[in-house]
Amino acid sequence: MTAQSIPADQLLSAIREAGVQDVVLVPDTHQRTVLDLLMDDEEIRTIHCSTEDEAVAVSAGLIIGGRRPMMQIQHAGLYASVNNLRGVALDGQFPIVLLIGLLGRDPELEPEEDGSSMVRLCRPLLETLDIPSHLLDGPDDLHHVAEAFDEAQERNGPVALLVGTTTS
Amino acid sequence: MTDNSSVQRMSLDAALDVLARRREEQVVVGTMTANGAWRQKSPHDLNLACIGFMGGASTLGLGVALSQPDRDVWVIDGDGSLMMQLGSLGTIAGAAPANLLHIVIHNGVYETSGSQPLPSQQQVDFAQMAEGAGYAQTASFGDAEEFDSAIDELLAADGPTLIQLYTRPADRFYSARPTPPGTTPALARMWPPVAEALAG
Repeated sequence: MTAQSIPADQLLSAIREAGVQDVVLVPDTHQRTVLDLLMDDEEIRTIHCSTEDEAVAVSAGLIIGGRRPMMQIQHAGLYASVNNLRGVALDGQFPIVLLIGLLGRDPELEPEEDGSSMVRLCRPLLETLDIPSHLLDGPDDLHHVAEAFDEAQERNGPVALLVGTTTS
Repeated sequence: MTDNSSVQRMSLDAALDVLARRREEQVVVGTMTANGAWRQKSPHDLNLACIGFMGGASTLGLGVALSQPDRDVWVIDGDGSLMMQLGSLGTIAGAAPANLLHIVIHNGVYETSGSQPLPSQQQVDFAQMAEGAGYAQTASFGDAEEFDSAIDELLAADGPTLIQLYTRPADRFYSARPTPPGTTPALARMWPPVAEALAG
């Protein structure tokens, strides 16, 4: 199956319907149309971080204070955030949902078949870390957004959503 | 350029005493050497600790500060710890939480691993870095009495504020004990009661 682009407004609606109050982010080329909408949004706050490791800790702090955050990063940032994913999200048992863009993915291939190591190794890394993931390969997959928050709460830990193609 | 080799340094104990005397209902995130000493001086159900993710104290505190704008949040950071996520200075300055106090214990060494020197140990100045990043206030102290005289004015003004405290390194290190299988990590035990207290 060919992955379909998700319109930015539909992804924003799914984020809103999931009750997200803060989006903690390091910019992702792949999701830039969603970022543009988020930064103009009056209800959802965006918190810009220098690194993805920081974004994990900021998200955890927000949860301690009673907020409902979501992380939004690029696949390269997943690799950069591993220490805090382990030490904060997993060890701390924080229900953090991560929206991760698979920049440069070939939409005709499964991510594990991709020529780019950044795409190919994403799901194997998440599996190694025991972090469940769901691929958003088109608008029909947007139900995973709200479900990921339920799943994160149930398992007391992080859940990843992989944005399969560039948002439109 | 700062010359840390000749700067006056106070004891960690004296530095923490100044803070402990002002402790009320702030959330305090401790880390590294200062964390254990702080928890003894100021036991409180709003103490959090950054253990096992060195460098994360400042941004964990930032998240709490942004979620609880009417409550003061203090981070008691280490110099080596902050060095590991130095970009957090820009992240904090950009988010600009008025309620965040960022203390940096500057002893110039990685004390927990045996007091090996920090990179640029002799020059590094975190107050200058925070000022450059855009913190609302920065200050440095090497004398506990001067710190004690100045801190109330700093606490009264809007942050984010970074206070660099020059302290004398101790000759010690901390060896990790094996963790028995099935142990709940410290952070997972620590934060739910804090969240409950903040919600109440």
